[in-house]
Amino acid sequence: MPREIITLQVGQCGNQIGMEFWKQLCLEHGISKDGILEDFATQGGDRKDVFFYQADDQHYIPRALLIDLEPRVINGIQNGEYRNLYNHENIFLSDHGGGAGNNWASGYHQGKGVEEEIMDMIDREADGSDSLEGFVLCHSIAGGTGSGMGSYLLETLNDRYSKKLVQTYSVFPNQMETSDVVVQPYNSLLTLKRLTLNADCVVVLDNTALNRIAVERLHLTNPTFAQTNSLVSTVMSASTTTLRYPGYMNNDLVGLLASLIPTPRCHFLMTGYTPLTVERQANVIRKTTVLDVMRRLLQTKNIMVSSYARNKEASQAKYISILNIIQGEVDPTQVHESLQRIRERKLVNFIDWGPASIQVALSKKSPYVQTSHRVSGLMLASHTSIRHLFSRCLSQYDKLRKKQAFLDNYRKFPMFADNDLSEFDESRDIIESLVDEYKACESPDYIKWGMEDPGQLMTGEGNASGVADPKLAF
Amino acid sequence: MESMTPISCPTTPRWNQDRPFLTGRFHQETRASSKFADSKRFTLDSSSSGVEQAIGCYDTPVQELIVIDDLLSALVGIEGRYISIKRFHGKEDSIAFQVDPSMDLALQELAKRIFPLCEYYLLIDQFVESSSQFKNGLVNHAFAAALRALLLDYQAMVAQLEHQFRLGRLSIQGLWFYCQPMMGSMRALAAVIQQASTKQFVGSGVLNLLQSQAKAMAGDNSVRSLLEKMTECASNAYLSILERWVYEGIIDDPYGEFFIAENRSLKKESLSQDSTAKYWSQRYSLKDTIPGFLANIAATILTTGKYLNVMRECGHNVQVPISERSKLTIFGSNHHYLECIKAAHEFASIELVNLIKDKYDLVGRLRSIKHYLLLDQGDFLVHFMDIAREELNKKVHEISVEKLQSLLDLALRTTAAAADPRHEDLTCCVDRASLLTTLGMHKDTDSNSIEDPMSITGLETFSLSYKVQWPLSIVISKKALSKYQLIFRFLFHCKHVERQLCGAWQIHQGIRSMNSKGTAILRSSLLCRSMLKFISSLLHYLTFEVLEPNWHVMHDRLQSTRSVDEVIQHHDFFLDKCLRGCLLLLPDVLKKMEKLKSVCLQYAAATQWLISSSIDINSQSHPQKTMIRDTTVTESIFNFEREFNSELQSLGPVLSKGSQAEPYLTHLSQWILGVSKE
Repeated sequence: MPREIITLQVGQCGNQIGMEFWKQLCLEHGISKDGILEDFATQGGDRKDVFFYQADDQHYIPRALLIDLEPRVINGIQNGEYRNLYNHENIFLSDHGGGAGNNWASGYHQGKGVEEEIMDMIDREADGSDSLEGFVLCHSIAGGTGSGMGSYLLETLNDRYSKKLVQTYSVFPNQMETSDVVVQPYNSLLTLKRLTLNADCVVVLDNTALNRIAVERLHLTNPTFAQTNSLVSTVMSASTTTLRYPGYMNNDLVGLLASLIPTPRCHFLMTGYTPLTVERQANVIRKTTVLDVMRRLLQTKNIMVSSYARNKEASQAKYISILNIIQGEVDPTQVHESLQRIRERKLVNFIDWGPASIQVALSKKSPYVQTSHRVSGLMLASHTSIRHLFSRCLSQYDKLRKKQAFLDNYRKFPMFADNDLSEFDESRDIIESLVDEYKACESPDYIKWGMEDPGQLMTGEGNASGVADPKLAF
Repeated sequence: MESMTPISCPTTPRWNQDRPFLTGRFHQETRASSKFADSKRFTLDSSSSGVEQAIGCYDTPVQELIVIDDLLSALVGIEGRYISIKRFHGKEDSIAFQVDPSMDLALQELAKRIFPLCEYYLLIDQFVESSSQFKNGLVNHAFAAALRALLLDYQAMVAQLEHQFRLGRLSIQGLWFYCQPMMGSMRALAAVIQQASTKQFVGSGVLNLLQSQAKAMAGDNSVRSLLEKMTECASNAYLSILERWVYEGIIDDPYGEFFIAENRSLKKESLSQDSTAKYWSQRYSLKDTIPGFLANIAATILTTGKYLNVMRECGHNVQVPISERSKLTIFGSNHHYLECIKAAHEFASIELVNLIKDKYDLVGRLRSIKHYLLLDQGDFLVHFMDIAREELNKKVHEISVEKLQSLLDLALRTTAAAADPRHEDLTCCVDRASLLTTLGMHKDTDSNSIEDPMSITGLETFSLSYKVQWPLSIVISKKALSKYQLIFRFLFHCKHVERQLCGAWQIHQGIRSMNSKGTAILRSSLLCRSMLKFISSLLHYLTFEVLEPNWHVMHDRLQSTRSVDEVIQHHDFFLDKCLRGCLLLLPDVLKKMEKLKSVCLQYAAATQWLISSSIDINSQSHPQKTMIRDTTVTESIFNFEREFNSELQSLGPVLSKGSQAEPYLTHLSQWILGVSKE
């Protein structure tokens, strides 16, 4: 069972989208609510063992850890129809059950307190796999548990499993409506620092955009969390199809991510999915060809990050990389033609400083899930406009920080004790430099970014014809 | 075909030689004894016996009676009193009848007119006897039998004439008159026989001769129909051989007359070992002696039997359903046999294709090969490369194939391949030479660029093989498989490069905490990105632009094929197209790719050092030392960058040069080099 991936779902939001994700995986692999393979699921060709393992009695058990500091969501899962799916040893609930009070510092601090217990669980899961490829973290960045405890876990994982990949599905708060969490900007900023430094890849799930898509594309007047979460689960499951349905390429997470992420810090990906349905709601049946799908994926309205659609500098924003995962019956010649079309129409604005093109991965569709459309597509893209999302976080933080509002809640915890707010400042610096880097990506000279005098180095290379180090002599 | 089994035929029984008068061999026997006698025959005869005197002593009417009597004997090949047989021994033995010169000249003339018929009779009779021997084959036997029947008629005629003669009703003119109708046919037959026996025709040679004679005699209706009848009789035997072949796939040809040769030394097992796939093309082959009337359809006949044979070898006793109509020996309508053969061919090919497609699941097998050798289901390879990394990194001669095999089995068992029972047919093999050498491309490179054969590792030489069982080995022969292997090796190495670069990427990821702005790390990670982009574009091109579309085309074509040869043709076409598309037949491009890959590998191997040095720099406290190391690190990154970019740049012209002949190269250059800014 090689290249396993362990999922950590932290906090209320993390557990909710995690739950949806597992529901979707079970459907796609023909696994029943109790983890037993359905009788019809005999076609094979899929890899269940990346995300599941089999217990002694042939039950499929998700490689998942359910972690929360307050019991509501997890209790819901434990009483729900999927209660027998999970390994109950993998559920962590804090003893007091009081949650983190939407306070990042509280979540972080509590995470530290239960580190041993949680790491035991992680170690056990890791030992149970042949060659662990990495971790997936589902959480939101605004609340307390997902952001704070999630941050702590990210740091610990980075430390403990430095050779393993860490990918996160991070839900960004809805910025269009006033949140009930007033300290959201603080939490987001502090989490963003960890996402920047301690994750290999962050799939940005922007609640603002998810809501917009639910309203505009799915015509739901008042989208519920369950409905937006099902969008998330669709994206999550689609982005793992190449791992679960092996094909020519992208059969491991590292291969998938390496081609998408240009530099270590620019690892924030936006997603797009088409055609969208919620809860397999009967939608208008459309003609879906590869070209249609690819074209729609490039449309801003299908992209699940709001910054892109709304920013004024959109013309300067550029794609760094795009991977389209196309599922369904596809004639491979269509792919080439579609790419050709897109190229001719200049539908994509790519960066100037390096080679770039749309990559396509063709993947099988689950034979057990009936859909009305033949082809569906997911886009994973690295786009420079994502910096506007961070800028907004920064500006909101600045507003709040200027007023010195709500800082007392944080000072209660060791990290900010004695009025030491350097953590905030440091995080702010890192996010700002991240914004700068994305901005630099838009310029054709990105490759020389920050080099004081690139000319000097270039001229100096004449005498460096030899190899610099014996290790380099091959 | 030297390895043909020699035709053993029984020897002619002894009584055939011992009793020359029973078989007519006495004609040849007397030849020896009469050697001396010839010249003085008449004198000797007349003087010694004393009974007979020169015919000239008799009156002409008496002479006529004597001559008729003698002629009647001569007509069945027996010398008379005044008619003798003279043999000439030369290059070609021939016989001539002679008449006592003292005979009345008019009678002599008439008798001489009849002599040819006697000679024909002798010739035919002799041919009948000699060609009835076993070694002359079935066609000759049948022909001889037909001739014998004809001779019986002839003898009956002679007997009737004799009867008339006894009744005193036969004059020599009458005899001449009655001989007339036989004359033409006997002459034609004698001509045929003359040719057949001097050239020692057997089998189809005889048939061809008969047919061409019949055509040549088209003007003479009776002769033509006689010759046609002879043809029919003679080919009957041949057609029954043909019938067994076409309807059952069996060569029942004791005397080696049939125009299809079987090479028994080629075993069906050889298909999975012999890299030239000789079995299918040479196990059964056409000889050059094809009867004219089958010449056009010979290839069809060959394949029909071949197909039936394959099915028999598979343990399916398939027979073409035979009805009365389908008997080949019916010579009714003009081209009846052609229709029968076509029907049999149709039946056999469809039956075999269905057998191979349905029972032996050809498409499933091909798909499984595609999973593994074309990496259509590449997850097992990821795992395999993980666990076999150490072994593959060894030098070629140090690699343990057994170990690789067990690792491969492990990888297959634990990935999606486990669901496919056919994965057990997959085996490992390690070649001795690199891909370029295998393809024979090193010949034209300058000598110093030839890589040291000692330095190549399993990564360059590892390949998979696939056990293919009869009868699928007809399609997936060793030859076809070796093409798959070439593609696999190229893909495998590309995957290896991709993995190494992914490793390099991960090393970069490990130093996120450092702000890379303005450092060599940024430069390095962007170089890494370009390389990854290159290799994944190459892989993307290979898989989605070459393998997958061509596979689809083949798959669709296979659905509608009606014969195995078509299947083989489509499959070979697919493979050749893939080889070509995968650049394996384009040395210039391939060498460039190998060069680029090796730059990528060098860079990937150096990354660890580069990055750790950079980290040192940033944490070092000695600014001076740092400066020096910083420049070396930066310089080596620049070096890689420059080398990679210049190789990539030089790829452009190579591709565009090639793209005139090979249009798909445009696709490749679009992938790798991006859109050329027009």
